[in-house]
Amino acid sequence: MADEKKVDEVVDARGLYCPGPLMELIKTIQLKPVGTVLSVLSTDEGSVKDIPAWLQKVGQEHVGTQKKEGYWDVTVRKVK
Amino acid sequence: MDKISIVLASDEFEKLQAAAMMASVAAVSGMEVNVFVTMAAMACFVKERVDRKEFLKVGEVGRKVLEKKAPLYADLLSQGKMMGSMKVYACSLALDLIEKPLSEMVPVFDDVVGVATFLGIAEGGQVLFI
Repeated sequence: MADEKKVDEVVDARGLYCPGPLMELIKTIQLKPVGTVLSVLSTDEGSVKDIPAWLQKVGQEHVGTQKKEGYWDVTVRKVK
Repeated sequence: MDKISIVLASDEFEKLQAAAMMASVAAVSGMEVNVFVTMAAMACFVKERVDRKEFLKVGEVGRKVLEKKAPLYADLLSQGKMMGSMKVYACSLALDLIEKPLSEMVPVFDDVVGVATFLGIAEGGQVLFI
């Protein structure tokens, strides 16, 4: 059985065009405490690449990306 | 902070969209962003026109942006300003040419400046001309 990582907050950005998902992640992550694990749901493939690029640029953690049925789930941890 | 300055001189909807997107993503990625709205682009920042979605030059892709209700350039710039380090400047000559006061423009401008000021602001960083 797969061990699901605990997700504190889901950012459902499905249906949003680039850079929507990234912007929604940023708006949410700003308000959360360090240690929060967020799951960004996106139907936009460009954002699935953009989010890890942004995480690296600003020093946040990209936990992983999973392809689900019709969308992607990008897991992020706020480390600073 | 890396700095990028964008001269926005086009009235083509798609270019305004692209410029606004690049500016806002750069701003939220920790870059210092400056946008100088001049010449043809200035006409596209008249508040009444933007509210009525009266865009001067919309191509095939632009029509899709409107159809799919993707965020518009003025809102993208406002968003970038709220979420990152971005300043938007109105070219004083362009404002004079279209004979509009700043108060009738989309409320996204930090100041009205000339080219010399903008060149000083842009110095040392990347410059994009759109």
